[in-house]
This record gives sequence, structure tokens and C-alpha cells, in this order.
Amino acid sequence: MDPIVSPPLLLLIEKICVIVVAAYLITRTESFTELIEGRLTRKNQAAMALIFGAFSIFGTVSGVEVAGVVANVRDLGPVMGGLVGGPVVGLGAGLIGGGYRLLQGGFTGPACSLATVLVGSLAGLVYLANRRRFVGVGGAVVLTALFEALHMLTVLLLAEPRPEAVTVVRAAAAPMIVSNAVGALIFALMTTNLIRERETAKERDEYLIELERRRLELEIARKIQESFLPETVPALRGFEVAAISRPAEEVGGDFYDFVPTPGGRMGIAIADVSGKGVPAALFMVLSRAMVRASASGEPTAGEVARRANELISADANSGMFVTLFFALLDEEARTLRYVNAGHNPPLLLRGGTGEVALLRTRGIAMGVLEEAEMEEGEVELSEGDVVVLYTDGVTEATDAAGEQFGVERLLLLAKEHRSLPAAALVEEIAGAVLAFSEGEPQFDDITLVVLKGGRRG
Amino acid sequence: MMLSNRSSGDVEILSPGGRLDARSSEEIRVRMEGLIDGGCRKMVANLSGVDYISSSGLRVMLASLKRLRKEGGDLLLAGLQPYVRETFEIAGFTQLFEIYDREEEAVEEFGRRGRTPR
Repeated sequence: MDPIVSPPLLLLIEKICVIVVAAYLITRTESFTELIEGRLTRKNQAAMALIFGAFSIFGTVSGVEVAGVVANVRDLGPVMGGLVGGPVVGLGAGLIGGGYRLLQGGFTGPACSLATVLVGSLAGLVYLANRRRFVGVGGAVVLTALFEALHMLTVLLLAEPRPEAVTVVRAAAAPMIVSNAVGALIFALMTTNLIRERETAKERDEYLIELERRRLELEIARKIQESFLPETVPALRGFEVAAISRPAEEVGGDFYDFVPTPGGRMGIAIADVSGKGVPAALFMVLSRAMVRASASGEPTAGEVARRANELISADANSGMFVTLFFALLDEEARTLRYVNAGHNPPLLLRGGTGEVALLRTRGIAMGVLEEAEMEEGEVELSEGDVVVLYTDGVTEATDAAGEQFGVERLLLLAKEHRSLPAAALVEEIAGAVLAFSEGEPQFDDITLVVLKGGRRG
Repeated sequence: MMLSNRSSGDVEILSPGGRLDARSSEEIRVRMEGLIDGGCRKMVANLSGVDYISSSGLRVMLASLKRLRKEGGDLLLAGLQPYVRETFEIAGFTQLFEIYDREEEAVEEFGRRGRTPR
């Protein structure tokens, strides 16, 4: 290796270690961050022009003398300033660095000064051409090397006397191109690091905000739903009743309700609102209120469903609907008159024979048609008879293999345990459903009501 | 979820596949609303590839049906698998929707309606 070139190259690299620290400090300033994010203001452009200009001066004074010329990293500041902050920063830093160089004199002074201003401005134009973004590591290194070559060309063309200029360029070209390119590499690595860091932080913040918003929404939906479920089940003469509702992570709009009528009958409702989250929870509150309001006076089950449907249809939009099973239990006559408005038909298990019936009538989910026909049905309930009311969260609970719990399984389970008291039977079924779908996310609310005929009271 | 749609004359035919649950229903809702916004009034949903439909799925079908009927159009269903048909039946939606065994029959129905002045 040429003994004249080698020591200055090493010295320059040593200087670059100092530059690393400077680069680190610069990239951590607020103004630099703002430039990176494309927020160019007069203030931060001026601040960066000054800082990169000072950095350029540092480049000059830290230069190493090679054959009477100072090989240095003067151009690094203006070039990086231009690449990161545009022409104003590049030109500003170039003028500062170039101006200082001019004061130092020497036969290459004017040419070197001009070159520094030129490369700073060109770097700024590159920034604009790259749609106001930093060109990246590779781009910065290649461009810096090219700019240094341009610098050398300027000296060759403008510096007099020409033969001495040739000598200087021959000696200084290699160390200057290499050291500035290395400096650019360091600077660019730190800059892209910072850009990535900012992007990650931004994404993380957005994600956290979204997560928090969703969590709050789930929380609100759950609170709404919980606060509108009955806290206790009513005491009945000659019957037992028990209920359970386990909301899904993303709450649906299940509800059950007990509404005593003035005439002494007990209204029993189970319902499922289509959709999820806060909209479903609010629609559930509305529907529950409408069912309650419709049950005042002494209507039949069919009338309750018809009235509630009218009220709900007036409010339902965008396809919202609610399926409802509503029954009026007459404890004296031991009859259950019911209406099924599009709800999963409850199961009736006869205590004695184990015979099964589905409580379905011709009806349609509420909120769909304003004038819907709601047919009524009636069953008599004897001691030991069990009615299992449920929502589709029960039958559509899914296991790891993707299989659904299904009506069949529910039926067998209820049949097997039909001698249990209502409260125990509800627990048994809910437990079985949860065990079935263990480890799988619970997609829908699981709601169950069990009514059981006891001894005539 | 897969969702293909093609048109036969002025009838748009949507053929979703797989499960029509809360998530995939949203995709269909967007597609259906886009078609209706774009002036489509005759729509056929071929559900032969759907093996499960949740209440969210029913809601999307209902919302599109309501909008189309309000605009003088309709949504016809075709090819319901037993489980899906049962879900429609339980909710009482079979009273509301016209359901055909095969897609071609639903498309022909629109053709018939087009000929007879309403």
C-alpha cells in the first residue's frame, strides 16, 4: 500500500470514531427526529443546518494533512443534513462548512468551499427527489462516495495551478472518498435505526390504544349485559327454576328474565340478540325492556311477543333482530303457554317416560317484520318434567376438532340428569358445555334456564 | 372464507363458502352493500358451500334483503345445506326469504319476474 496514503486513512478512521459519538448525539435531538418524521419547520431546519454546519467545521479542523492538502470529512455534515432534512439544511450546512474552509485559505480553498456547498445542496435535492424520505443506508453510502468524487473533480477543474491540484487530488481522493463513505455508513445506520424505532413505537402505540379501546368496549358490553340479568330466580309454588349465563369474551346479547304478571302467572323469557359487543348489549337492554313492558296487564304469551315485536321492529335497523322464547307459567293450573319467536326450541323432558318434545311454534325473530304472526303453544307440566331453555351458544360451543356440542348431546345430558334439582341440572349442563369446548375460545354467550315441575304446592 | 361473485345478466350471484360466522359475515356484508350501492337490485346468495351460519350471518342476509326489497329488488337464496336451512327455519326466516334448491332456479325466478309487470 502507498505509505503516504495509509497513515492518513487510519487517522481519518480514528476521527470517524469521534464522528460516531457526534452522529449519535445528533440523531437523538428533537429536531432530527422531527426531520425524520417529515415535519420540517423553519426552526428545526435552521437548528439542523447549524448543527451539521458545525459538524462540517469539525470535519475541516480534524482533517489530516496529505501532501499539503487537508483530507477530511467536511462534506459529511452537509451531505447527511441534505439527505435527512432537504435542501435548506444541506445548503445551510454547506455554506457554514464551506465558508469556514474559505477562511482557511490555500490554493484549493475556493474549489473546496464551493464543492462543500454543492454537495450539500445536491443531497437536499436527492431528498426531494426521493419524495422527502431518507434514501437508506446503501443510497447514502453510494451517494456520499459519488459526491466526494464530484468534490475532487471540482478541485481538478477550478484549483490553480493545475499540476499541483492533480497531485493533491491523487493523494487525497482515496482517503476522502473512503472516510466520507464510512462516515455516511455510520450516520445512515443510526438514522435508519431511528426511523425503524419510531415506526415500531408508533405501531405499538396504535396497537395498544386499539387494544385498550376494545378492552373497554368489551368491559362496557359485559357490564351492560350483567346489570340487566336478574340477580335471583323467583320462588315458585310447585316448580323450581334455575338459570345461568356466561358471557363470551366478545359479549353477545343473550338474556333471560322472569316477569311476574299481576294475575299471578310468571313470565319466563330467554332471548338472543344477533351481533356482538356494545351494539348487541344495547339492543338486548331495549328488547328486554320491550318484553317487560309488553307483559304488563294480563296478556297472553302471543300478545306479549306481538307487542314486543312491534316495539322492537320500530327501532331495529341494519338487520338487528332478537330471537325470543316467552312462556307464561300458571302455577295453579300447572300449564306453560308459550310463544317461540325464532328461538332455539326449548326441550321438554317428561320425568316419567323420558319422552322429549321441542317447544316450537310458528313464529319469527323479533325486529324482522313489524306485523308478525306469533302462534302460541301450551303444555302441561307434571312432577319431574323438565324444560331446558337455551341459546345457541350452548349447542354451537365447539371443541378442538371443530365439532359442535349440538342439540343431541344436550338432550342426552338433560335426559340422563333429569332427576337432579333444577339448580344442579343447570350447573351440570353448563359444566359439560364448558368441558366440551375446553381450551377453545368461547364465541358466544352461553345461557341456560331450567324449569322443573315439583310436587304440587 | 371464500367468497366468489359473478353475474348472470342483471342478477348478481354470491357464493360464500365455509362458515358464515361473525368474522366472515362482515366480509359478505361489505360485498353485498357494495353491490347494492352500485345499483344491483337482483341478488342470489348461493349458500351450497356454507356449512354453518351464525346469527351474524342471518343478520347480514336480513339487512341485504330489507334494503333490496325497499329498493324494489330482492335477495333469493339457493342451495341451503340441512344445517343452514334449519338455522333459517328456527329463526322463522323461511317465512321471509324465498329459498330455492338450485341457483339456476333462483336466477330463472328473477327472469320470470322481469317479464311480468309488478
